[in-house]
Amino acid sequence: MPPFSLWCPILAVTAALVVVQPPAPSPGQTPMPVHPHTAQGGANAGTARGTTPNVATPGQAAADRPLPDRFGTGRPFSPYVPWPTSRLRVRVIDGRTLEPLPGAEVVLIETEQRLTTGPDGFTPWFDAPVIRNPRYRPMVAELHGQLGVIAYKNGYRDSIHLGIRMHEGIPTETTVWMYKIGPQDRRIEPVLYQEPYHHIWLVELADKFRSRTQPGEGPERP
Amino acid sequence: MHRLPKAILTVFAAFTCLANTTGRAQARQPWTVDNTPEPAVIRVAIRSENPSGEADPRGRIMYVQTVPFIQYCEDVLPNEWMPSWHIEALKAGAMAVKMFAWYHHLHPITIDGFTFDVDNTVNFQTFRYLSRQPDTNRAILAIRPYAYVKPDGEIVELNYRAGIRDDPNWQYRNAQKMAQWGSQYWAERGRNWLQILQFYYVDRILRQYRVR
Repeated sequence: MPPFSLWCPILAVTAALVVVQPPAPSPGQTPMPVHPHTAQGGANAGTARGTTPNVATPGQAAADRPLPDRFGTGRPFSPYVPWPTSRLRVRVIDGRTLEPLPGAEVVLIETEQRLTTGPDGFTPWFDAPVIRNPRYRPMVAELHGQLGVIAYKNGYRDSIHLGIRMHEGIPTETTVWMYKIGPQDRRIEPVLYQEPYHHIWLVELADKFRSRTQPGEGPERP
Repeated sequence: MHRLPKAILTVFAAFTCLANTTGRAQARQPWTVDNTPEPAVIRVAIRSENPSGEADPRGRIMYVQTVPFIQYCEDVLPNEWMPSWHIEALKAGAMAVKMFAWYHHLHPITIDGFTFDVDNTVNFQTFRYLSRQPDTNRAILAIRPYAYVKPDGEIVELNYRAGIRDDPNWQYRNAQKMAQWGSQYWAERGRNWLQILQFYYVDRILRQYRVR
């Protein structure tokens, strides 16, 4: 039996190896961000309330962790599962005369689908994915997905149209303006139009993180 | 000698004119759905955008765009209500959007030399030209021949706010404003668009009118 003075360092080293805890941030040091999938009140706070929290243990492989239900569809998110799709058609018009532009080529950026507008300026209806920005956790998930298209037509500036609002299960239309290249145009570059976020979502987003000490405009009142 | 009676006459004439004007104002009938046709067009002030491309509610008015009235409603509804919401919520929203616009068409304002009915920002209703969607168009078509007005037919502003998600938003009922999230809440629970309007707007009735 070794003496007590020999046991003490052995026990101390063993305890240090078994109990592994992240160090607490010192004052002035920014704490490490908590992974949204593992944070309480994070990924599954809205949908899996009352169930076992989705907390990964150290050493557990990322692939073994249950994936969160990102879109409230009842299915866990997986990059290998096809995105939900919805019907979309794009109308291309002349930005000055507002007349439809037939024969313009429209490319859906996310899927590289290529379509051509008909005599009425519309592309045929086609299936397009509903992609929500993965930066946002499900609790602040966008109320609509977003897509981008580029329209090309000879004699016109290229038009890039981003932020097309897509919703599951309902058809969507969008209009792309194109501008004719004139003799005065020397530096010819694409034209960008960015659809703004829906303001219903912006109101909801701002309210989610409002603090009591700095309420800003405060919650909406009647 | 002639100056004093002339001054008195002038003052008298001014008072008479004022009294007539006041009398006319008092005698003027309110704008009702019976004596006022649905507007054919509406004047929309287009405000400058902020650097992110969003129309700025405090931005400079750049020009006034005249838009067919129903087309205006079609280009507002998908920007105020979510097109993916329940069709009954969209119909309730369509009615609010239309009556709001109709009221302001009857009460135009002038700012910075521009006379207009509404602007394209949340000061009035969010308007994006040619942003209409098939589902919201259907909602507008469904409520087209109806107006939601005071019991005597007077056209009033149907106001609304975003409200709180998944909540009946009772507080907006007391304020005579529809909660947009509240309309979706009630529609999901089986209420139709008229019941939703009745929940938020007290002492209003549905009237039918002749569409041009």
